[in-house]
Amino acid sequence: MLETLDLNARPSSLVSNFEAVRDLLRTYGPDSLQEMRERAFKEFNKFGIPTSKDEEFKYISLKVLEEGKFGPAYGATVDRFQLGQTVLGKVDAITVTFLNGEAAIELSSHDALPDGVFVGTLRDGSLVHEETLMRNLGHAATLEGRLGSTNDERFVHLNTAYLGEGAFIYIPSGVDLERPIHVQWLSTEDHGPFVTHPRNLIVLEAGASAKVVESYAGMQGVYFTNAVTEAILGKDAILELTRVQNETSDAVHISTTAVHQAAGSTVTSNNVSFGGKVVRNDVNVWLDGEHTETWLNGVSVGTGNQVIDNHTRIDHAKPNCHSFETYKAVLGDHASGVFNGKIFVYEDAQKTDAKQTNQAMLLSPTAGINTKPQLEIFADDVRCTHGATIGQLREDALFYLRTRGIPDKQAEALLVYAFAAEVLEKISVPEVRDALESQLFSKLDTQSLPQEVR
Amino acid sequence: MLEIKNLFARVDDKEILKGVSLSVNQGEVHAIMGPNGSGKSTLANVLAGRPDYEVTGGSITLNGAELLDLSPEERAAEGVFLAFQYPVEIPGVTNTYFLRAALNNVRKHRGLPELSMTEFLKHVRGKAELMDMDNSLLTRSVNEGFSGGEKKRNEIFQMAVLEPTLGVLDETDSGLDIDALKTVANGVNALRSPERAFVVVTHYQRLLNYIVPDFVHILMDGRIVRSGGKELALELEARGYGFIEEELAARA
Repeated sequence: MLETLDLNARPSSLVSNFEAVRDLLRTYGPDSLQEMRERAFKEFNKFGIPTSKDEEFKYISLKVLEEGKFGPAYGATVDRFQLGQTVLGKVDAITVTFLNGEAAIELSSHDALPDGVFVGTLRDGSLVHEETLMRNLGHAATLEGRLGSTNDERFVHLNTAYLGEGAFIYIPSGVDLERPIHVQWLSTEDHGPFVTHPRNLIVLEAGASAKVVESYAGMQGVYFTNAVTEAILGKDAILELTRVQNETSDAVHISTTAVHQAAGSTVTSNNVSFGGKVVRNDVNVWLDGEHTETWLNGVSVGTGNQVIDNHTRIDHAKPNCHSFETYKAVLGDHASGVFNGKIFVYEDAQKTDAKQTNQAMLLSPTAGINTKPQLEIFADDVRCTHGATIGQLREDALFYLRTRGIPDKQAEALLVYAFAAEVLEKISVPEVRDALESQLFSKLDTQSLPQEVR
Repeated sequence: MLEIKNLFARVDDKEILKGVSLSVNQGEVHAIMGPNGSGKSTLANVLAGRPDYEVTGGSITLNGAELLDLSPEERAAEGVFLAFQYPVEIPGVTNTYFLRAALNNVRKHRGLPELSMTEFLKHVRGKAELMDMDNSLLTRSVNEGFSGGEKKRNEIFQMAVLEPTLGVLDETDSGLDIDALKTVANGVNALRSPERAFVVVTHYQRLLNYIVPDFVHILMDGRIVRSGGKELALELEARGYGFIEEELAARA
């Protein structure tokens, strides 16, 4: 008994780190931010690290967070050559780079930006846009006052408690930024496991549009990334937000993407999970105006013992909004996947059109997926559909390929590739899409296939 | 070249082909006509090796090789090409990638070196023009979002690229307007050669105005009930399938 008590009494490193970094954090940003941190820290401590008894974490074990000693992040050195070896390290874009949670100016780009556009760190952003920044930070990443069963916000609180460095993107009214933005978070562990809490804030004013690629690249070692991205879209704004998770095979990656859409806005979220050992992504979209469009595309490819858990939540709070969601998983070896897709249609949200699809392909008898669509509808004139398939390969497609001379094993590999690549095709930044398609190729066991995807 | 002897085949438990025999020589075009449900498409699919069709008797040889012992991909390598009635959409794989993989497999089988992407593109350029396939159709996913006409053109384009010895066209004319029909027929005619043969499965005579057959066979209830020259197709067009049924009934 005594032992159990001792265990409970000993705080995890995620909690004990706070005392060590509190004073340092205080130096980032205004006092109001420190108040936010303290509040969030208390919130996190109310329930601590989730266990499988928590409904929203039923199929993922986070014991590693309880037991692992993830110290505060420390500095590291990565040069341009090493960066170029990462999957998206050479992408030509307006680039903001972080290394082990710290801004890495030498690995960032120095583009001339259109008037009023800001792409940089939260710290620099607060110098020019403090009011905008503070008004929006934490604004989207909350489920307060939302209808229906709520998701779990613990890791958002944990992120906010440690909120230090981060990326800030601001696109003023009417600006269509054609050049893509790439926010990359690199992690490399060379003396002991650590934790980072990346934070990204994207604000698009009315009529603005942008393409943002948010990537997490693990270079080596054991660490824990706990990321939060908030995107706030003004009226008629258009955002393509592509998130690419390529952590090391020993890393834990937990993320929350929170999107807030005003009337007439369009969001395309592409959520790509290839890396990590234990991975959990939450994507929450709040539709706060009429005639919005939301596209949630997700693809996970798990091998070895990877666990990849995707939770999505769309709050249709206003009438006439459309959402289209497609999440796919390819799982081999002993990998396991989770999909939980919630759609809430509020009483006022008449003429909602929501379509959700979840498809998984299991490549081995020891791979598995738990899938749970969850629709809660409080309006009567709506169209909501959902479908989940756990699939084998399509026989008709297999036969078609074989009649063209492609041997059955190759045809199977090609169809598995195609199944996942279909999601990658939604990415409109060609360089990113091509790099991910090549990576998909090598991640799947496709030696039998000719290279040169395009 | 192609010898089909007393072929029986079924799908699930339904007997569909009930003793089909057909002999096709190099350079010939044979049309297989027949009413719906007569077994035309089954015959085309059995030639290509569709797994859900069970062959219960007979043989099919192509230049002496027993096709029934071969997988679909081996048949393709031996020179069989099936143009599908309903070409399959494969999102996520581009047309060029797919076709190059196909061509290189077939070439490997024939003892030819594989083509690089550049060589491949050179190989297909003229064929794409012939079939009026613009570049976007080549870089898009296989058949995805293609119109009916584009899909059928893509089938013939693939055939032109793979250069089979036996082309089997399964209702290639269905769903085509007259312009698309002409493009498709032009493509097929351009591929006609003394070494290559075609089996053209069709319900209507229309396609045969453009792809003129050397022989026409009428398939009914799983058997070839009559064979003749191209004038047989015209007779069918004028009189319908009914007159054959009546003749058969009278004979019985």
